[in-house]
Amino acid sequence: MTHHEVEKYRKPIRVLHWIHSGAFVLLFLTGLILFIPGLGFLAEDSWTRVIHRIGAAIFVIIPIIYLVINPRSVGRGLKLAFTWSKDDIGWLKAAPRYYFLGDESSMPPQGEMNTGQKMWWFIVVVFGVLFVITGVIMAFAKESAPPAVLQWMVFIHDVSFIVSGAMLFVHIYLGVFHPLMTDAWSAITGGKVSAEYAKKHHGKWYAEVSKGKEEA
Amino acid sequence: MAETFGRGAMTNHWNDIANADVMMAIGSNPAENHPAAFGHIMVAKERGAKLISVDPRFTRTSSKADIYCPLRSGTDIAFINGMIKYVIDDIHANPQNYNMTYITEYTNAAHLINPGYKGPGELNGLFSGYNDEKRSYDKSTWQYQLDENGIPKRDKTLQDPNCVFQILRRHVSRYTPEMVSSITGCPVDTFLLAVQTYAASGAVGKSGTIMYAMGTTQHTYGTQNIRAYGILQLLLDNIGITGGGINAMRGESNVQGSTDHCLLSHILPGYLGVPRNTDTSLDAYLKRLTPTTKDPNSANWWGNYSKYIVSLLKAWYGNAATKDNDFGFHYLPKVQSGANYTHIALFEAMDKEIIKGLMVWGQNPAVGGPDANLERRAMDNLDWMVVADIWHTETANFWKRPGANPADIKTEVFLLPAVGSFEKEGSVTNSGRWMQWRYKAADGPGEAMDDLWMLDQIARRLIKLYADEGGPSADSLAKLWWNYGADHPDVHAVAKEINGYDLTTGKLLPSFGGLKDDGTTSSGNWLYCASYTEDGNMAARRDPTPGPFNVGLYPKWSWCWPVNRRIIYNRASVDLNGEPWDKEHPVIWWQYQGAEKWVGDVPDGGWPPINVDPKATRWPFIMKPEGFARIFGFGRADGPLPEHYEPWESPVENAMSGQQINPAVTVWRPEEQGDRAKYPIVCSTYRLSEHWQSGQMTRNMPWVIEAQPEPFCEMSEELAREKGIANGDRVIVESARGKVEVVALVTKRFKPFQMNGRKVHQVGVIWHWGFIGLSKGDSANVLTPHVGDPNTTIPEYKAFLVNVRKA
Amino acid sequence: MADKAILYDATKCTACRGCQVACKQWNENDEYIPPPSDPNGVPASNWGSYENPPDLSPQTWLKIRFTEIEAGGKVRWLFTRQACMHCTDAACVRVCPNGSLYHHELGFVAYNKDTCTGCGYCIDACPFNVPRSTRNIVTGIAKMDKCTFCTTQGLDRIAEGWEPACVKTCPTGALKYGDRDGLVAEGKKRVQTLQAAGWTNANLYGENELGGLHVLYVLDDYPAIYGLPVSPQISAATIAWKDVIQPVGWAVGGLTVIGLGMNWLVARANAKKEAK
Repeated sequence: MTHHEVEKYRKPIRVLHWIHSGAFVLLFLTGLILFIPGLGFLAEDSWTRVIHRIGAAIFVIIPIIYLVINPRSVGRGLKLAFTWSKDDIGWLKAAPRYYFLGDESSMPPQGEMNTGQKMWWFIVVVFGVLFVITGVIMAFAKESAPPAVLQWMVFIHDVSFIVSGAMLFVHIYLGVFHPLMTDAWSAITGGKVSAEYAKKHHGKWYAEVSKGKEEA
Repeated sequence: MAETFGRGAMTNHWNDIANADVMMAIGSNPAENHPAAFGHIMVAKERGAKLISVDPRFTRTSSKADIYCPLRSGTDIAFINGMIKYVIDDIHANPQNYNMTYITEYTNAAHLINPGYKGPGELNGLFSGYNDEKRSYDKSTWQYQLDENGIPKRDKTLQDPNCVFQILRRHVSRYTPEMVSSITGCPVDTFLLAVQTYAASGAVGKSGTIMYAMGTTQHTYGTQNIRAYGILQLLLDNIGITGGGINAMRGESNVQGSTDHCLLSHILPGYLGVPRNTDTSLDAYLKRLTPTTKDPNSANWWGNYSKYIVSLLKAWYGNAATKDNDFGFHYLPKVQSGANYTHIALFEAMDKEIIKGLMVWGQNPAVGGPDANLERRAMDNLDWMVVADIWHTETANFWKRPGANPADIKTEVFLLPAVGSFEKEGSVTNSGRWMQWRYKAADGPGEAMDDLWMLDQIARRLIKLYADEGGPSADSLAKLWWNYGADHPDVHAVAKEINGYDLTTGKLLPSFGGLKDDGTTSSGNWLYCASYTEDGNMAARRDPTPGPFNVGLYPKWSWCWPVNRRIIYNRASVDLNGEPWDKEHPVIWWQYQGAEKWVGDVPDGGWPPINVDPKATRWPFIMKPEGFARIFGFGRADGPLPEHYEPWESPVENAMSGQQINPAVTVWRPEEQGDRAKYPIVCSTYRLSEHWQSGQMTRNMPWVIEAQPEPFCEMSEELAREKGIANGDRVIVESARGKVEVVALVTKRFKPFQMNGRKVHQVGVIWHWGFIGLSKGDSANVLTPHVGDPNTTIPEYKAFLVNVRKA
Repeated sequence: MADKAILYDATKCTACRGCQVACKQWNENDEYIPPPSDPNGVPASNWGSYENPPDLSPQTWLKIRFTEIEAGGKVRWLFTRQACMHCTDAACVRVCPNGSLYHHELGFVAYNKDTCTGCGYCIDACPFNVPRSTRNIVTGIAKMDKCTFCTTQGLDRIAEGWEPACVKTCPTGALKYGDRDGLVAEGKKRVQTLQAAGWTNANLYGENELGGLHVLYVLDDYPAIYGLPVSPQISAATIAWKDVIQPVGWAVGGLTVIGLGMNWLVARANAKKEAK
């Protein structure tokens, strides 16, 4: 095996990822405390709400900063979340055999984000927005909005929590624990993956990137 | 009430209201001002009793009433006389629905009056004997016709044109429902519904009670208002029975106690007359005051006058009061015959710099007195003032009031901090005449002391000063027997002295029946004789046994005067054989088996019933010299029968007669009368549940201030529209005497009065506020006039004229 | 133990506000106006009504509502007690994340303020709009307050066998405390008496609403006229959230974790096999 490495994620993206996901974990855990009655005692005296708001502030501000710094990257990234094609169906069909049995035979080559990662990204964007809207209303319109509205905000926030929470488990599992995702961790920490990994897991992307390199 | 029945007190008691079949709250708002009593009203209602609320506005009491009658302030007499007319007409049509025996045998309905008597129907609003200059009546034409034995003549058929019943009938014939409606503004059908409902209590075995308070008394004819209720109740056989009576709801928890112990200018303790300069001797005094009767069946209990005054003098002057010196009668200060020493007169005297010193005990005239600006100015003239109170009051701070320059006021003000009622031991006598002993629950703050200690200190020093230095009338004080304890006076010693002793044995007397006029007994207040006996402090008893007949008498709970008689005039609660009119709710009952005696409540005299022993019996109203309740009350200054007059300030001419105002009223300040063109709106002042009187206590209590934070003027939606006032706006209410700025409370509960095609507006202003305290506000009494009832001089707080505009 | 309740008879209430003040005094709640340190007096104002304070608040757990109506030429002045209704099917208890709101063994909704998270879910869920909260809009620190049926910690009258402070004070007997069954029977009897007296719409409110309220109201007219919600329900949002999504969430979460666990076991075994 070669030890030729390819840069998957540049530093700004990695910083964004870790700060944002750190905030999300804060938000998730403080929210989980309200979800699980046995843990409710940790929320006494509004402690977890204060932490939740700190997390929320970071959660909102960091992407905004990134948008200001690099609007094109944000635009490109958002486009990715909403670009779907027949190729994604191919991934879906191949995914069970691939992820359980390691059978890559029917897995079509994936882009920078495989379909699964795109699905996660979609959830992050859409539910992130939902989280923020419902959260802002609950935080700042608590005394002005009609109670029924506030109750439905909680409902939507809860649905978002369940969906994004479940997907978060999947994301962490795949990124850290799955035997096949060997370079996923280093991709988001050091930013680099091995060429082999890139070829196998993100073939389409690797082809474009290395083509460029060859041309250069 | 003393005029009509013989005693000036609630005839029944609070718990007894639950026995009523119909209740009328007129001139009162018990839901707001007597909330604890309202519980009994609700018990009656739950039994099916009806509540009628008669009031210028729809109050919290009206909200619980079955019938609400709007009534322009000051027109109660027209309303009640209208009811009396209905009852008299109905008596003729359906006598079986009424208790004719009661009317004929227990009231003076059958008594014949001097044929020279003429009433307002014939004399355009006046009664016979009026002296225009003196503004008073010669009452000789109002007296009974006497037979050859000096006993009043009676026509038990009630047909003689000179009998009281016929006189009354002629008198009220002018008060038709249409006339009542045009004066009061109450629609005819509502009025008739109220009358029919209330008149049903006239049937044998049915009871109706009238509850009144300041809305009745605080008028230039307040006494006559009460007389009207009394007449109505007598025609409906409602006096002396359970669930009946005239329940005068005192305005304060111990007012009954205060009047019993003579905190009024015209009486000594026990409602004995205050001596006048024309009483040259004890005998002259007794001759003036002791009523006489030639009727052997009239108990004429006031015939015992001499026993009570002598026992009082012995209590006060001890061994300095002997047969040789008229028992110290001359030690008592004498008032000027004919002079007026009531509240209004006192402040007029202060204004004229006649009175130079003032002691104020738990009262706040700067807020509670009429014509407040005048009364505050009058206090500027004082050399000194002593105020004993638990809080700072507007009166204690009159010299700092808004608009006053303290540098110009020379009064020296002494503040004596007092303790609250739970911080001292003593008794409180409620409206129902129950003397209830209270204990000290806590110590007062700082240097605050109880009134008893303060008075004891003042008295001891004055006694010593006068004894050492002499001076005018020095003996009045120097000869007083005063020894209630070396340090803090013993309140029990005071209570015992009030009860009285047999001076020959040194033992407490068991009842006033034992009082004598030979100097061998003492009693600080004959009415309270039996309250503290050799058996102990009766007022401290707390046995909640309901008592005989289970009608809520509670004979062993505290003690009531007289001699623990719970329902007074109860000899009228039985027929001539001593059988109760209402056998299911009796008060007393003559027992024919075994020992012949009364059972039940303490009878109003233990003599046998009229038919059982015509010689030994006594007529039921023992405090009246003739022994009968007075429908025709010739003792009053302003007339033997109530006649409608307009308030001193009124928006309309008197529709009944040419006599606009009560002809016996003293008008101190004609220049302060408001012109109805400038002040066309009727105004009344009243209270709220949440605040107390002039507000010293409640306007310093945050939780209560929160519930009622600010004084306001209640007005109808129609008036608000006319004046461009929205609910919550600040408004100025102004009378000829001053103006206040308050919040406007626009409500459906006030409606303009439709009187004979004319629309008359009325508003009401809450009067609890003043310029001192946690919650401050303008005092409504700045608006009220310095004029009052001719018998009591209670000020006309309840009906005067104002104008209202947006601030 | 048999449930206890309060019976409020609006036909006996004279709105004296004794209950309002007694509740504050007993529970040591401040008034709605600045404390007495202001030497210039209290700038409290009347907004044009007897109804003060105008709303429930963290310091006002009980108040009386005043309603003036005019029907058929007759004016009526209706008084209603406004405080926690202590529902059997209490929406607030359902949505409280940590059991600060809970059902007392005697049936009413008790409350532990120390553990309150300040989330305010109870405020939005209550069909009677009762709970109120202090809240810092920036930090989100908040605490809820409501009538505790006089079981406030350290001031528990019920534990001593006493009636609530409001009941004790009431001068007209409009408030009673006792076994719920007994009070329901008494309330029904009173309704019958009222109907016989001509109040044909008299009713007992709270007998069955929300599983049965522990504050029952004797009314002489329709509840709506007294400002009480007709057929109050737990909101669709509460049900969707607590009865649907909550279990769904557990299911989704649980299934995900199990699925991932299975995947790990299978995938790892496969990877080992391949390595061999």
